[in-house]
Amino acid sequence: MKIGAIAGITFKEAKRDRILYLLFFFAALGIAASRVLAILTVGDRVKIIKDVGLASIAVFGVLMAILIGTGLVYKEIDKKTIFTLLAKPLHRAEFILGKFLGLVLTLFVMTSAMTLIFLAIVYAHTLKIEAGLLIAIAYIFLELVLITAVAIFFSSFSTPILSSLFALAFYLIGHLSWGLELIIKKMPPGTGRTLVRALYLVLPDLENFNFKTEVVHALPIPPGIYLSSFLYGVCYTAFILGLAVLVFRRRDFI
Amino acid sequence: MKTPLFSTRPESPRAKGSATVLLVVFLLAAAAGFAALKAATDKVVRAKLPGASIIYIPSGKFLRYATFGYRALAADLIYLWAIQYYSTPTIDDRFDHLDHVFAIINELDPRYQDPYEVGALIAVQEARDVRAAFAILDRGAANNPDQWVYPFNAGHVALMTLKDYPVAEKYFEQTMKIPGAPEFVERLRANAIFRKGDLKTSWETWLDIFQRAPDERTKRIASNHLYNVKATIDAVALEDAAAKYRERFGRLPADLGTLVRTGFLREVPKDLDGKDYLYDPATGKVRTAISPWRR
Repeated sequence: MKIGAIAGITFKEAKRDRILYLLFFFAALGIAASRVLAILTVGDRVKIIKDVGLASIAVFGVLMAILIGTGLVYKEIDKKTIFTLLAKPLHRAEFILGKFLGLVLTLFVMTSAMTLIFLAIVYAHTLKIEAGLLIAIAYIFLELVLITAVAIFFSSFSTPILSSLFALAFYLIGHLSWGLELIIKKMPPGTGRTLVRALYLVLPDLENFNFKTEVVHALPIPPGIYLSSFLYGVCYTAFILGLAVLVFRRRDFI
Repeated sequence: MKTPLFSTRPESPRAKGSATVLLVVFLLAAAAGFAALKAATDKVVRAKLPGASIIYIPSGKFLRYATFGYRALAADLIYLWAIQYYSTPTIDDRFDHLDHVFAIINELDPRYQDPYEVGALIAVQEARDVRAAFAILDRGAANNPDQWVYPFNAGHVALMTLKDYPVAEKYFEQTMKIPGAPEFVERLRANAIFRKGDLKTSWETWLDIFQRAPDERTKRIASNHLYNVKATIDAVALEDAAAKYRERFGRLPADLGTLVRTGFLREVPKDLDGKDYLYDPATGKVRTAISPWRR
């Protein structure tokens, strides 16, 4: 109940944030610009529209999660409103979870709005709604949920600028960690390989949520990966939120 | 009943401790969960689009501006990626954009030497695309006019792989004009001229090398080649005369002296060492008594 109340307030607060609308404007512009880019290509125009549209939803969604998420907890501390909140019968874990769910709700609304614009443009070209695109967007949203947790985790102990940098680094690492797999394959067995393998398992693998290529090219997606990727996202998000609660519980605001 | 984690009552040190333990256990369980799920997800084989990862790579000219001054670093990173990419045999059509990928690296860092050589090597040995190799090496030569290795490698590819001897001669000639080029390049050029079939120029070139030879070894190599060129010229003349003899008499001559006696030759030439050539009356073929390389 208290978590819901905090989430509702966070949602209202995020709604008033101008940066949200600025990012949404650029996301919509990016999706619409895919139409212009498609004109420049020779061949399959719809492919360009899908590629650019999905990329716009993903990139601007991540920017929303990072730029708003990293300020959420910090603002409460900076404006001293945290004292009023924590003086009430409210646990810090509830505060963190409320903030997280509020931003997730905000991102859900924004992702839905971007999806509507995107699907409208695709529909204008193909005269059909492709369910596959919704799958790709659903997993983009799952990625945004994880990034939100990361942004709130960093926000619980650092400044917004540093938190943004850390969260962005997390995002980049998440999309590049597959490179470690190549290194592992080329390393001889031993301690070094075991360490790199451990690092590979611990570092985020955001490519698990990336179904854009398969969807755009109508490639078959193994059914098993839907569940394992979903559970991976849920577990990693839970882990990051747990860390955020652990850090936030130990913070002293005086 | 509320768990210690969500309790709103003032926490006793004991309760706080147990909540922390609970949280740590939760974290460990979550970490074990996502690590296991990652391993499980990796086992699922996802469809791959061969070459799809590079179709959007823009030209190096554009990237030069997009890298904000980190051109050399961008070249390093793309080169490292290219090495991994081209050594992944599961990507069937990975060689489709080979020249384009190396052109990007070359444009970002024109003085970076390795990509020219490695790119050309991949093109010849892996992609079997000699034209791409020439394109990469030509860029190397254009961007590094002081480096003889690029036209030399191109000449080597033309001589050994493509067996296009005029092209090989052109590249070796280009190499010889660059200061620091090794002296053996002019011998490779002379060999290319010989294989091209221009025996007169080949003789003149080897003779020039023989006369200017700085040491006994080079003199001996040039001498062997001169022997080979003369033997080839003589064999062509002798076999041509034997063929004309057969046209008139309906059979090959029994020996080379017959060609002189019947007026097809003024004299029977001897090899560079003054020895007779060996003639096979069954085939009309002429060869030297010893190998030119074992004199």
